Amino acid sequence: MKPSPIIELEHVNFSYPSSVKRVLQDVSLTVNRGDFLAVIGGNGSGKTTLCKTFNGLIPHYYNGALEGAVRINGEATEDTNTALLSKTVGYVYQDFESQLVRPRVLDEVRFAPLNYGWPDYKERGDEALDMLGLNPIKNEFIWQLSGGQKHLTALASVLSLQPEVIIVDEPVAQLDPVHARDIYHTLQYLNREHGITIIVIEHHTEFIAEFAQSAVLMDAGTVKWKKPVADAMRSIKDLQHHNILPPPVTRLAEAAGAEESDVPITLEEGANWFSSRVPAASPRHIAPVPPGASEKTKIASFDRVTQGYKTVQKTFKWVFEELSLSFYEGERIALVGGNGAGKSSLLKMLTGILRPRKGNITAAGQPVARTSPEKIAEQVTYIYQNPEEMFIADNIRADIEYFLKARKSPEAAAYADELCRLFSLEDLQDKDGRLLSGGQQRRASLAIGLGTQPSLLLLDEPTSSLDINSREEVARLLHELKEHVKTVVIATHDMDLVAEWASRVIVLNEGTVEYDGGPRGLFSRHELMRRCSLHPPQIVRLSEKLGIQPSALDIQEFLPFVKGGGPRYEPYPAVAFENQR
Amino acid sequence: MNRIRQWLSKINVETIKIELMNTAYGERTTLMAKLDPRVAIIWYLLFAILPWLFWNNTILIGMLLYMIILTALSRISPLILFLLCFGLVTEAGYVIFVALFFGGDLTAAAALLTFTMKLTIISLASIVIFTNMDPERFSDALLRFKVPETFCFGISYGYRMLPILIDEYQNIFHSFRLRGRFPEKKGILAWRYIYHFCVTAVKAFYPMILNTAKRTRTTVEALEVKGFTYGMHNPEAKELKLSYLKTTKKDVLFLGITGVVLIAIIYTGTLYPIERTIHQL
Repeated sequence: MKPSPIIELEHVNFSYPSSVKRVLQDVSLTVNRGDFLAVIGGNGSGKTTLCKTFNGLIPHYYNGALEGAVRINGEATEDTNTALLSKTVGYVYQDFESQLVRPRVLDEVRFAPLNYGWPDYKERGDEALDMLGLNPIKNEFIWQLSGGQKHLTALASVLSLQPEVIIVDEPVAQLDPVHARDIYHTLQYLNREHGITIIVIEHHTEFIAEFAQSAVLMDAGTVKWKKPVADAMRSIKDLQHHNILPPPVTRLAEAAGAEESDVPITLEEGANWFSSRVPAASPRHIAPVPPGASEKTKIASFDRVTQGYKTVQKTFKWVFEELSLSFYEGERIALVGGNGAGKSSLLKMLTGILRPRKGNITAAGQPVARTSPEKIAEQVTYIYQNPEEMFIADNIRADIEYFLKARKSPEAAAYADELCRLFSLEDLQDKDGRLLSGGQQRRASLAIGLGTQPSLLLLDEPTSSLDINSREEVARLLHELKEHVKTVVIATHDMDLVAEWASRVIVLNEGTVEYDGGPRGLFSRHELMRRCSLHPPQIVRLSEKLGIQPSALDIQEFLPFVKGGGPRYEPYPAVAFENQR
Repeated sequence: MNRIRQWLSKINVETIKIELMNTAYGERTTLMAKLDPRVAIIWYLLFAILPWLFWNNTILIGMLLYMIILTALSRISPLILFLLCFGLVTEAGYVIFVALFFGGDLTAAAALLTFTMKLTIISLASIVIFTNMDPERFSDALLRFKVPETFCFGISYGYRMLPILIDEYQNIFHSFRLRGRFPEKKGILAWRYIYHFCVTAVKAFYPMILNTAKRTRTTVEALEVKGFTYGMHNPEAKELKLSYLKTTKKDVLFLGITGVVLIAIIYTGTLYPIERTIHQL
C-alpha cells in the first residue's frame, strides 16, 4: 500500500504573541496514515507546540503568528476551525485529569459526540468504552478512578469522535510501570486494529523502541530528522546530544563496544545480541551481609497499626491491618507497590496528619498520637507528590524559609541561601513555584522539604512526571541527601530508581508487607512482582533472559559479563554493596 | 464527654466530602428523584416563596409537617440533618438567651418562633431538593429554562471538581501545618489554638485558587477540542442533550397532590388560625 499523508507541514514558523522568539522554525513534516510516531526532544524544544498545530489549536485558539502551510487530510487548518478538526485529530493531554469534565465515565465519553449534535452519541460513546474495555467502570465517578483508569477514560472520550489521528502527550508520565505498558498496548491495538494514526510525545525511549514505527527529533523549534524507529534509536550520539537517553539495552550494547548500526533497541533484540557474547553464567552466591553487623538506631516504627477509609458506597476499606515495621538510621528505603497499596498513607501517618485507627507510631523518638504535626515536622518532613501543594508562600525562597522563620530562627536566611545553591535555585528563588517547569518544581519541593532540617525525610513519587534529564538530576540529588538527613523513605513506582538508589525495599500489597530486603532480592521474585503490579528494570530482565543470577541491577554491573575475564564469576565488589543494609 | 469526643472525631473532612458527594450523586429511588427536574424546581420555588406570605401559624405548622414527611421519605444523610438541627437549636437558643438577657420574657421568643418555622420549611425544602436531584439533572433543567449554557455547565462542572478541590485544600492545609508552628500556650478557652486553625484555614485557600486557575487552562482547551463551544451555538445539540427531559403523568400527579395539600393547609389555617397578637410599640 502506498503511504498516504494525513498531516503535512510545509515551512511552518510560529511564535506566541508577546514574544519574538520562534517556537517553531521552518518545520516541514509529513505524517502518513497508519503511522505510530514518537515526537522526541528536550524540554522546550517545541514538541507540544508542534502537536497543537495538528488539531488547529494553533492558530485558532492561540493567536500567534503562524506562517507556512499546515494541512490535515489535504485541507488547510487555517480555513477550518478547532471544533471541526477535532473530529479528525484527537488530543489527550499530559494533565489528563483536567481534561475530564463530566462526573461519570459514561457522561464523559458521550460528551463530545453530544456537543456535535450526533443522534447516535450514545452508541459512539459505548463503542469507545468497548474498544478500551472500560465497560465495567462506565458508571463510576471520575474522581474515584485510579490514575490509569482516568487516562483510559480521557483516551476513550477522544475516541468517541472516531478520529483518524490521536495525539497523546506524555502518556506514561503519571502512571505506574504496569499501567504505562497497558496504555502503550492499547495505543498499539488502536493503531493496528483500527488503523488510527498515533502520535506520542515521549521521553521514554524504552517504550518508543518497542511500540513506535518512526520518530521525529525536535530541537529548538526545528525538526532535526524523522526516521524509522530502529534508525532513530541507533542514532545514539544524536540522541544523547539532545538530552535523550537511548533504551538501556542500547546503551549497554554501546558500552560493550557495539557499532551504532548494529546495536539492539528492544529487550528481545538485546537478548539475541548478548546471547552470543555473554557465556552462560552459573548461579553465583553473594555473601549475605550479616544482619545487625553494626548497631542500628531506630528512627521510626509502626506497632500493630490499623488504618482504613470509608468509600462513597459507605463500605469501609482497610488499608493496613496490624502493620508492624521499623525504619533505622542510615537507611535508604524505597516503598513500592501498585496504586492504592497504601504507600502515601503510610508516609502521611508518620507526619501525624493522618491518624491510625489503632496502634502506635513513633517518629524520631516522639509518639505521633500525642504530638502535634507541627512538632513532629521539626524531625520529619513529607514532600508531596504534587509540588504545587507545597507552594504556600509568594515565592520559592519564602517557601524555603517558611519553617525556620515561623520558629524565629536567626539562621533562616543563611540556610535558605545554602539550599538555593545546593538545588541550583538561585535564579529562580524570586518566582512563584507554580510558574516553574516540572523539574524545577521538583527541585524546589526538595529544597522546601530540607528547609525544615529534618532527620527523617519522606518523599512521595519524587521522579514521577519528570523528563529523563530532570529525573537523573533528582536521582543525583537523592544520593547527596545523605549528608543532610539520617534516613530517607521514598514511595515510588520508578524501578530504575529503586535499583540504583535504595538500600532497602519494602513492597506493600493490600495493606501487608510482602517483601522487605535488598532490591536484588526483589527483582528475582517474578511472581511477587507481578502480584504487586511491579515491573523490573530492563537490565534486570535482560540478565534474567541470559541466565545471569542474581541479576545485574544496572549497566555498570552488567558490563563485566560481556567483556569476559575474571570478574564475571566473582561476587560483586564491596562498593556495589555500599547500598546494602 | 469521651463519647462526644469520639463522635466528633468522626466528623472530619473525609466524611464530609463523602456525605456531600453521596447527597449530590448517590443512587436515588425515591419518588422525588424520579420527577422531571423542572417540576422539582417549580415545587421548590413554591416552598421557598410561600412561607414568607403567611403569618398564620396553623398554615406554617401544616407546611412544616408536610415538609417533615417529605424529608423522612427522602432518606437524607444524618450528617446533613445534624447540621440543620444544630443550626436551628443554636439559633433558637441564642434568641431565647437574648430575650431573657435584655429583660424580655418567653413571649418574645415565641414570637420569633414563627420566623424560625419559616426558615425551617425553606431549609428542609432545600435539603429535599438537594438530595433528590443530582447536579446533572438540575443543570439540564436550568438549561431548559433558558438559563445561559455556560452557567449551567458551570454547575455540573463545579460539582465534579468539588472532591478534587476538597482533597487539594486538605493537602495545602496540611502543608501549612507541616511547616507552621503550633502555639505553645492554649490561652483562655484554647483561643490561641482556635485562632491558629482559623488563620491557617483561610490562608490555605489562596494556593488552592492559584493551582486551580492554572489547571483550568487545560480544561478550557479540552472543552474547545471536545466541541463544547461548537455545541453551544448548535440548537440541535442542545435539543439532543435535553431530549430526555419529559414530563410524565407522575409529574402532573405530584404537582396536583402538592396543590391539593397546600389548599387544604391554607383552608384549615384560615378556619382555625393560631395568630400571634402584634404588640404595639
